[in-house]
Amino acid sequence: MSFLHKPKQEVIKAPETQKNLYPVLHVMSSLKDYHTDLVEKEVSSLIEIDKIGSSFGEVLTETDEFHEQLLDFGSNFSSIEDVSAEFVTVKNTITDSVSQAQNDVQELKDSSARVKTYFEEMEHTFTGLQEAIEKIKQCTDKIVSITNQTNILALNASIEAARAGAQGRGFAVVAEQVRKLGDEIKTLTIDVNNGVHDVEQGANHLYGNITTSQKALSESLEKVDKTYQTFDEITHSAEGAGAVHDEISNVIGNSQDSLQTLCGFFEQIKGRYQDVMDHITNAERLGTTKSAMFEDIDNMMSQIPLIINENNPGK
Amino acid sequence: MKQTFGMSMSGDLKAASKGISRPQFIMLFSNKEQFESHVIQLEQIFPGVPSIGCIGMSYDTRMVEKGVGLIAFSDGVSVAANVLEEVSTMPVKYIQRLEQDVRNVNGTKENTICIDLCSGNDACVLTTLYSVLKHRNISLVGGTGDDGKVSANGRIYYNAVAYAIVKNLNGKVKAYKENIYHPMENYRFIASRTDKAKYMIGALNGQPAKQVYQDILHVTEQQITTQTFKNPFGKLNGDDTCIISIKEVTGNALTCFRQVNDSDVLLLLELGDYKETVRETIRQIQRDFSRISAVFSVNCLFRYLLFNQNHYMQEYLNEMGKLGNHAGLVGYGEHYNNCFVNQSMTCVVFE
Repeated sequence: MSFLHKPKQEVIKAPETQKNLYPVLHVMSSLKDYHTDLVEKEVSSLIEIDKIGSSFGEVLTETDEFHEQLLDFGSNFSSIEDVSAEFVTVKNTITDSVSQAQNDVQELKDSSARVKTYFEEMEHTFTGLQEAIEKIKQCTDKIVSITNQTNILALNASIEAARAGAQGRGFAVVAEQVRKLGDEIKTLTIDVNNGVHDVEQGANHLYGNITTSQKALSESLEKVDKTYQTFDEITHSAEGAGAVHDEISNVIGNSQDSLQTLCGFFEQIKGRYQDVMDHITNAERLGTTKSAMFEDIDNMMSQIPLIINENNPGK
Repeated sequence: MKQTFGMSMSGDLKAASKGISRPQFIMLFSNKEQFESHVIQLEQIFPGVPSIGCIGMSYDTRMVEKGVGLIAFSDGVSVAANVLEEVSTMPVKYIQRLEQDVRNVNGTKENTICIDLCSGNDACVLTTLYSVLKHRNISLVGGTGDDGKVSANGRIYYNAVAYAIVKNLNGKVKAYKENIYHPMENYRFIASRTDKAKYMIGALNGQPAKQVYQDILHVTEQQITTQTFKNPFGKLNGDDTCIISIKEVTGNALTCFRQVNDSDVLLLLELGDYKETVRETIRQIQRDFSRISAVFSVNCLFRYLLFNQNHYMQEYLNEMGKLGNHAGLVGYGEHYNNCFVNQSMTCVVFE
């Protein structure tokens, strides 16, 4: 301690035999010097402790800030995770939409298939219709042929009636009536044939339309199949994005674990720092009590020389 | 025990003493003009009753600013009143008086209090008094009177401290100190270049004290002495904070109402919610005591001025009055154990 090396006070020599209190005064003077030195050292100590406290306070603040930054970093991970999770949500939305679209396409496919079946049934019905028309035509042809024969027979009957003279006149009238009927049937048959012809033409036109529609429907079905496949590919790709998210999540999970470890470490360090701060605060607190004690010492010591001088006047 | 407060606004001691009967201890709080005559008169009215006195304002639920106030203890106290002289230089010269009185009263920290009224050099006086009291852990509550004189047992003393060792024969006693200030932000200083004889602070953290105070609070040199009402210093002593008022500016230094030493750690304080602090003190006392016989307090003159300025003084006295029998002195400095403080309230509560 520095005060041990302090130069000795100049002592005024007095006879040792003389019974006075000067040595006590001398001791007091020395004690006073030590006290002064001690206070000076205490001021320096307190300033140093204060500086240590301030520096350590800054260390604590910086540690807190670093800790905050680490936590922010952790928040960033969470944000990435959130964004990545958003990605999954988007993927799920795509998958759902695609699935919905696929369902719709499937329904389209099903209804198209049903239309195709109807077309096939229509084609089949149409063939039946054509056959029926053909039969009608054959019938009308036969009718025309029969009518022709009837007309020939009516003509022959008229000739025979003419030969018979008056007795055959009534028969000739009947024959004429038959011929007229035959002509009318013939005319009607021609009308029927014309109608059948129109029906045949319309049917053929309809058949052409059905064939064209069937072709278009087949092409549409092919496209629907292709669309369905495309949707499958989209869903597959979206699933791939989900896998990427899982990978991101894994990486983030690992990073967060590491960050957690780091934060834990910082918590421990902070605890230690806090211990040091507590010790510094304690040291400062003790320092302030010392200051009060110095005052007490000084208050007491300052009275001694006066008392001694009073009791030992002139010495 | 019983506490009686007698007062006369006109300074009529006889009138003030009317309600006091069979006192075992009396405290006299007089004015500059009548102090001497009051001391003599009191001794005539109550001969042989231990007494101490000083010049200062007193109160119960009323303020006695210019007249005379008497606080008398009776019915269950054992008291020794005395004086230490030459306090500005060597109060320890008379220490055997205190030692003897403490022995005679034979109290403990639970039932005994030392009440002191001082004329100056308070820090040295308290160190000296407490050097005896600490051996029995007896608490001290007191204050500083005006005009450099005190009285004890019918005599006037200059440059002295009058004290009374009061033992409550029927219950416990406890001392309190109330601080209505709290640390301002984180301003903490180590005092240096101090002059303890002149109560002067030369530097705070190595910088001129006046400049430091002005820079923080943005006040002019003239405003410093009034700013102390809001922003005094606080001297740290372990977990305790002792308030120090600024008296005046001396060059680049600040002269205070209390001694400041090199290596003292000071805080800059600011006024808090004083009404709530008062309420909390009252709550604390009520928690500590289920039955209260008396409360004797010393309030700083600066607190009195502050409370008056804020029209709170009467409300304060009424609040304290709710504790029971409350009376006290407006002092120029407050004493709490070995601490000399400013702008504070110290009190002792008797069960």
